[in-house]
Amino acid sequence: MSTINLRIRRQDNPDSQPYWQAFSIPAAADHNVVSVLLALRDNPVTTSGERVAPVIWDHNCMEEVCGSCAMLINGVPRPACSALIDSLIQPIRLEPMPKFPVVRDLLVDRSCMDASLRRVKAWIEIDGAWDTGLGAPRIAPVAWSANYLYSRCMSCGVCLSACPQFGSHSDFIGAAPLAQVRLMNAHPTGRYDKTERLHAIMGAGGLSDCGNAQNCVRVCPKGIPLTTAIGELGRQTTLQALQDLFGESTPSL
Amino acid sequence: MRIANPHLLLRRLHSLFGLLPVGAFLVFHLWENSQSRFGAAHYNGEVVAVLQRLNYLPVLEIVVIALPLLFHAGYGLVILSQMRAEPRRYRYLRNWLYVMQRVSGIGILLFLILHVGMTRIESIWRVTVREDLFGHMQHLLTQPWIFTVYVVGLLLSVLHLANGMATLGIVWGLTTSAYAQRLFGSVCALFGLLLVAIGIHGLLGFLS
Amino acid sequence: MNTPPQAIVIGGGLAGLWATLRITDSGFPVQLFSLFAFKRSHSVCAQGGINAVLDTKGQHDSIHQHLIDTLKGGEYLANQPPVKSMCEAAPGLVRTYERMGVAFSRTAEGLLDQRLFGGVRNKRTCFAGASTGQQLLYGLDQQVRCRESRGQVSVRVGWEFLSLLQDADGVCRGIVAMDLQNLEIRAFAADVVILATGGFGQIYAPQTTTSTNCTGAAASRCYQQGAWFANAEFFQFHPTAMIGRDKTRLMSEAARGEGGRVWVPRQPQDRRNPSVIPESDRFYFLEEFFPAYGNTVARDEASRAIWHVTRELGLGIRGSDRVYLDLTHLNPAFVTQRLGAILDIYRKFAGTDPLTTPMEIFPAAHYPMGGLWVDFERDDNGGMRPDSPRNQATNLPGLYACGECDAGYHGANRLGANSLLSASFAGRVAGEAVVSYLKGLTPRSPLPEAILCAAVSKQQQLNAVLLRAEGHENPYRLHHELGALMTAKVGVVRANAELIVALDDLRELEQRAARIGLDDRAVWVNHSLVFARQLQDMIHLARMVAASALARDECRGAHYKPAFTMPLPAGRFAGDPEFEDYRTRWQANNERWLKTSIASINPDADPILRYDAVDLSVHPPIEPRDYR
Repeated sequence: MSTINLRIRRQDNPDSQPYWQAFSIPAAADHNVVSVLLALRDNPVTTSGERVAPVIWDHNCMEEVCGSCAMLINGVPRPACSALIDSLIQPIRLEPMPKFPVVRDLLVDRSCMDASLRRVKAWIEIDGAWDTGLGAPRIAPVAWSANYLYSRCMSCGVCLSACPQFGSHSDFIGAAPLAQVRLMNAHPTGRYDKTERLHAIMGAGGLSDCGNAQNCVRVCPKGIPLTTAIGELGRQTTLQALQDLFGESTPSL
Repeated sequence: MRIANPHLLLRRLHSLFGLLPVGAFLVFHLWENSQSRFGAAHYNGEVVAVLQRLNYLPVLEIVVIALPLLFHAGYGLVILSQMRAEPRRYRYLRNWLYVMQRVSGIGILLFLILHVGMTRIESIWRVTVREDLFGHMQHLLTQPWIFTVYVVGLLLSVLHLANGMATLGIVWGLTTSAYAQRLFGSVCALFGLLLVAIGIHGLLGFLS
Repeated sequence: MNTPPQAIVIGGGLAGLWATLRITDSGFPVQLFSLFAFKRSHSVCAQGGINAVLDTKGQHDSIHQHLIDTLKGGEYLANQPPVKSMCEAAPGLVRTYERMGVAFSRTAEGLLDQRLFGGVRNKRTCFAGASTGQQLLYGLDQQVRCRESRGQVSVRVGWEFLSLLQDADGVCRGIVAMDLQNLEIRAFAADVVILATGGFGQIYAPQTTTSTNCTGAAASRCYQQGAWFANAEFFQFHPTAMIGRDKTRLMSEAARGEGGRVWVPRQPQDRRNPSVIPESDRFYFLEEFFPAYGNTVARDEASRAIWHVTRELGLGIRGSDRVYLDLTHLNPAFVTQRLGAILDIYRKFAGTDPLTTPMEIFPAAHYPMGGLWVDFERDDNGGMRPDSPRNQATNLPGLYACGECDAGYHGANRLGANSLLSASFAGRVAGEAVVSYLKGLTPRSPLPEAILCAAVSKQQQLNAVLLRAEGHENPYRLHHELGALMTAKVGVVRANAELIVALDDLRELEQRAARIGLDDRAVWVNHSLVFARQLQDMIHLARMVAASALARDECRGAHYKPAFTMPLPAGRFAGDPEFEDYRTRWQANNERWLKTSIASINPDADPILRYDAVDLSVHPPIEPRDYR
């Protein structure tokens, strides 16, 4: 094929109606979706010859590590930088990631993920950003390996957009912030605030709103075992609920 | 005492009631009705009559079966309202089961209205239903559309229970790793097949 | 009630977040501006690790050795007290990160693991899997989020810094910034401003490993308002990167270390598939040029050799800039085990498998050693005086800079795994310096309303002009021209004749950039407008880089001019007359060029350059570098 053909769903602002435009650019080796969108900016003309505003989308590192460029590509949410053109059926359909409010074109507002991370207290409480002179706590290599998987979450939002329970119709926080609770609760000092984090996800919109469709783990570009985290948190909240109802056992910290 | 997180407790109660007593009752009910195989006399005299002789049976039926079931169904509808499923976009088994769990919930609810109405409710004013349940069921199930509805109701109920058990394992934290979830899912699937076999066996028993 | 003094931090990468944490640690409120959610910052791209001497590998490593390696790697161009303090602080920084929950890789005993990294002999690099920068940034991001939820930080994500607010005395008293959604321009008053906006690799796009937002526009805007820019001519090029249409992705040097061979077809424009090109038609140029080292020759040498073969001999693959980095002759199991991460990246982004098809690579602009000039105060121990308000201060009072946008720590070239360290350290120091600055402030009258209004309306005017402009130049196409021009003429290998041409070309580009016509005239999320502004700032920076490169007639670190090489006399050593003669010339050259170049803005002309002495008080260079 001598051209790359695209159909892009556009939307001028959050309140306007979406519409579709078709574009095509000359084919060349090693194009990906971001590089095609970059090329389009040089000459933003639709296939019908109309000169239009360049497509708006988010991108930065283009190494699938910053999480910016996730969008719906041929109906599947994924980072655009690692979506190689040769592997896609044409015309390639580009749409904004569903479930998030559209800002403009393919740009969506993912700030709710930040709010969720605040809500679940996804951090380790430290006295201050200074050296205490104490060495690092020991962490078994096997525990490290499990934790490292979760620490690579880049808040791209792909897992949320594929989640049937997540969206404007519900207050479910989704897999990504839940996995961070799993991560923080496993840290040698992070576990001091385990109860607080668990209580945060035991409320409305928390862990128990998961419907176990498990699309999240299938679409995660980083292969993070999100459903394992959800299972582990299930166990932690079960124990926590028993403690809340029947009283603490001897503190184990 | 203050309940710290009523939301989680409600969800867990919903999950628990699905297994106990509702799921357990389904297993018992299917086993009970598989006795139809041994003929009208045995079924009416040894199986149904024994149950009917129990003291405070209506209380048991209401407290142990009806109320948990109603809670499970009612709260299930609340959960159902959160679904925005895309089974065609994400063609994964678990996503399909997620949809089916909710669809089957509605199906079971409709089936139960029919089923309970035609049997337990009808028996309140029709003595013949009470005295010869086997005959009553035989009369019903020989009509092809009712038989079909019962088979569908059975399949949906078993699917709902078996898949409900598999997700219950995740929800309560019994199964965490992908391997454990898959393994327990297979166990639940086998259990479901067994229940279907028992159920079909029982339905066919009424036709003999 | 008196409002406490306010600090503004610009940039949500490692340095900016460190500064924010240290300022809030002292109880001062911070307004933190970032173009995007912090997790999107370019810091996440650093894969390798962070250097810190823990000496846990039985190699008798020492902080002194880290200092020496850093200074020598930078060919002595870095001021030594800050480098000394950085090396001393490194273990503490790693321990602090660890407390924040950063998932550093562990040994079998569960202790921090360390590995070997380019250019040094000891295992000194802490790492977190293959995504150390990401892990460090996330640790800080979580801490800042915690403080945000406590009300100590107010975060403005999606705002772009446009200009500094300066009072009549030239003191920096806040910023003007633009909301990237509705293009609203507002003045934000503050008592001090910290710039932590990263590097400017985008002037070499797409042949750069940096993210698309690494335009350097923020630093350029400060420079245009009078901040000095130091050592701009020093830009590190990474020899092995895979060229993409969108960006050039780093392939770790480990690929060469583990036995990868670099070659091109001997025939120019040979269009055959590499697997069918026989050995006799392959030019293993690194092995021929450097018989002693072969493919494992140092980064700089490799970059220059690849440059020579492609740009000067015209032997790039199918006439392009690329050369093969071949792993196909190695045992696939071995390669997969040792280079798994690289193979994954290459497969993911190139779509071919390096186990069966040679990778295609080219040197790419990776890291600017230069940046905004920053001050420091030396203490009695030869390091930086802790908490001095002079540390990390630019020449503009009230403006501090830290991270990749400062010129503080790497001299003429940067040691691998020192960038995460310098970003963290400089951010921390800047935060502490700013606290001292704020504590030392005497009450001042508020910035006159007229200054605020004038600054805002100047920026609004710029937007209005761009939105109305009917020119025919497309900012994105001009950016391609800028990148190609800088790569070709101000790149790996430099010659004065070409630099003079480059400066002319850049002046022309600057004029064309003033004749832009935007395809997008919306006042809602207008990326074209935002980029058109950044492009003009990038061209300013590029002009300064080219002018600085033209002025420095020597080879030092990453700055290489073949006309001014000074090779060691072959076979001669200390005591031989030839060697002593060389030493004399070497000393004379240092006398002339071992200087910090400082560029300052000269409206409508090339920048004014001057040369300041380097503080060599810790470990002065006495012996020429001799790797024989």
